[in-house]
Amino acid sequence: MSRRIFQASFITSVLVLLISLGLIFGVLIDNFEARLFKEMESEAAYISVAIEAQGIDYVDNFDGSEKRITIVDPEGTVIKDTSADISLLDNHKERDEIAGAMEKGVGRSERYSDTLMERNLYYATKMPDGNILRVSTTYGSVFVLLLGLLKPLILIVLLALVISFVVSKRVSRAIVKPINNIDPDNPAEGEVYDELTPLLRKLSAQKVTIDRQIKDAMQAKEEFRLITENMSEGLLVIDAYTNVLTYNTAALKLLGIEKITGTSALVLNRKKSFREVVNKALGGERCEEALRLEDKHYDLIASPVFEEGKVIGAVIVIVDVTEREKREQLRREFTSNVSHELKTPLTSISGFAEMIKAGDMPMETVVDFSKSIYDEAQRLTGLVSDIMKISEISEKPLSDEKEEVDLERVCKNVIKTLMPLADKRGIKLSFEGGKSIVKGSEKIITEMVFNLCDNAIKYNKAEGKAEIKICETEKDIRLSVSDTGIGIPALHRERVFERFYRVDKSHSKEVDGTGLGLAIVKHGALYHDAEIELESVLGEGTKITLIFKK
Amino acid sequence: MRNRFERQLEELNNEIITMGALCEEAIETSIRYLFDGNEELKELIADTEKQINGKERDIEVLCMKLLMQQQPVAGDLRIISSALKMISDLERIGDQALDIASMAIYVEKSGMQTRVHIRDMANATMKMVQYSIESFVKKDVELAYEAIRCDDEVDRLFNTVKNELVDAVANGEENGEALIDLVMIAKYFERIGDHAENIAEWVIYSITGEHV
Repeated sequence: MSRRIFQASFITSVLVLLISLGLIFGVLIDNFEARLFKEMESEAAYISVAIEAQGIDYVDNFDGSEKRITIVDPEGTVIKDTSADISLLDNHKERDEIAGAMEKGVGRSERYSDTLMERNLYYATKMPDGNILRVSTTYGSVFVLLLGLLKPLILIVLLALVISFVVSKRVSRAIVKPINNIDPDNPAEGEVYDELTPLLRKLSAQKVTIDRQIKDAMQAKEEFRLITENMSEGLLVIDAYTNVLTYNTAALKLLGIEKITGTSALVLNRKKSFREVVNKALGGERCEEALRLEDKHYDLIASPVFEEGKVIGAVIVIVDVTEREKREQLRREFTSNVSHELKTPLTSISGFAEMIKAGDMPMETVVDFSKSIYDEAQRLTGLVSDIMKISEISEKPLSDEKEEVDLERVCKNVIKTLMPLADKRGIKLSFEGGKSIVKGSEKIITEMVFNLCDNAIKYNKAEGKAEIKICETEKDIRLSVSDTGIGIPALHRERVFERFYRVDKSHSKEVDGTGLGLAIVKHGALYHDAEIELESVLGEGTKITLIFKK
Repeated sequence: MRNRFERQLEELNNEIITMGALCEEAIETSIRYLFDGNEELKELIADTEKQINGKERDIEVLCMKLLMQQQPVAGDLRIISSALKMISDLERIGDQALDIASMAIYVEKSGMQTRVHIRDMANATMKMVQYSIESFVKKDVELAYEAIRCDDEVDRLFNTVKNELVDAVANGEENGEALIDLVMIAKYFERIGDHAENIAEWVIYSITGEHV
């Protein structure tokens, strides 16, 4: 811009300079010509007077180098000429200046002289004797005059050029400087030209709009990031060439990847179900697949993204369903366990009953069978009542009124109840501890302690010991039941509190139990907000501690 | 033009990953088949093997197209030439998985497979194939070297299995057919290990330009 302004102003000044020089020259030439004529006029007057006084030969005093003097008689014949041979000259009557002089007494003209072959100025005057006196000079003398002016003129022109160069440069810089000084962040501020003000206002308004739009976009981006980063589901957005466009950290975590190394989604995972989901979604079809990675279960949900009827990519959501799968597994196991547990006694009962129904059986066999039927029925009753208890506990609202329960009394009652069983198996039951009060349901706590002790007796060795201990600390009350029994293998410790979970998978009747005892303890503990601790050494014994918070 | 070339290279990369994944699946299925004898698995392997062969042809065509149309140089040329070599190894892995499956059923019925260390060998081979393909997927030279190192373990297990089978013969094992099949299965696993090693070497070549 500065360059353009400089060029424009410099060219302008040079042009102005040249034009004015030309005009000045024109004026000067005119001026010089007028002066020449005047000079010639006074010279002619002077010569005419001299000729009158001294005769026509006076003219011979002039050598014709500076001015040419010609005398023409009224007929037009040249009778004297300082620069040419008169015999060669033709009649001058028709020449403008001569004709003018004959007519008006004075004549002037400017033309090429055929005689001297150059541009001449002529002045003619009629002398009193009737002859015409003509003075002429070459036009060149005008230029000689001007030539004298040339040297200083060139100097002046050069000086003017230099000045206009410098000034143009400065001016252009000065014009551009305020524009350069406009602050792009605040274009409306600062003093600039009025002509630019509307533009700057517009700029500043646009800047505000752009700033706002950028802010909105950033905010939207940040919102998107926050949402995707905080969701536990993995999110992948891919383009039509399976290149990953966006992903969240959950996706990487779920797929077990530390960082993305390539561009393709197949780099993240190449399992069959993942490939299928990607292919189907990019084929324009929404689909769901299950994906297994080591011990984790995922659901993949992929939806194609359309633009103008064409698939331009896909969104893949990865959901961790490991928990759900686990629960599903538990539920399946539970159902199969319940049916198994209920069916076994019923099969025996109906088998024995069928044989009795057929009749024809000795009495003692019938009695024996009846006893079996009775035992199985008892077992079934026990099972059903356990199932009812556990559902009662787990369905009991936690807000239920809680009473004060003395653990010592509960334990003593349980021991009293279980003493016969313990005696039968030759197991020594003991109790240690004093009065401790916890808030809760006496019925449920009794049930819990009963089941723990029952297990301690059942899963004990012959001549073993079972011990109930209550110890109270500042923070909590611990009730522990320990035995010297068979112990629980480490593999099963996690699961023994599940309903129907039996360490001995054969559901054998060697040790009669419903598989619900510890489940009742667990639900009871949940009801009382108590913790359960399990310590066990295989073959040496088990210790289960209930920790009630104070 | 350049853009299209890049696109085709990406496609090549994706196709090889897919082919590798198919090979992993084929071996995994054949191992499962060897140990639980589910007849459905055999069809699955046959199907996977077909897909692998199809992929090999697709990739070959793609590589040829790239070579003819784009005249790749330097790194790109290395990627394409090693891709061509890699797919033939992958294809062999697929074939051998199918071969294992074709014998597995007799071995599975005899119960011989539980008496020798073939499971360890299968797992070691599987791991090796996974490493080599993973190294291609992640362009991870270290992992490729790890895959190559695993080959020693596979070879060692092959010898173990062989010796165990020799002992079985010495002890008068009656089920001769299963025994021979098992030797061959072990050999196939060993061959798969060699192919996986080749793949890992090509991965290293395509990245660093050096032959191992």
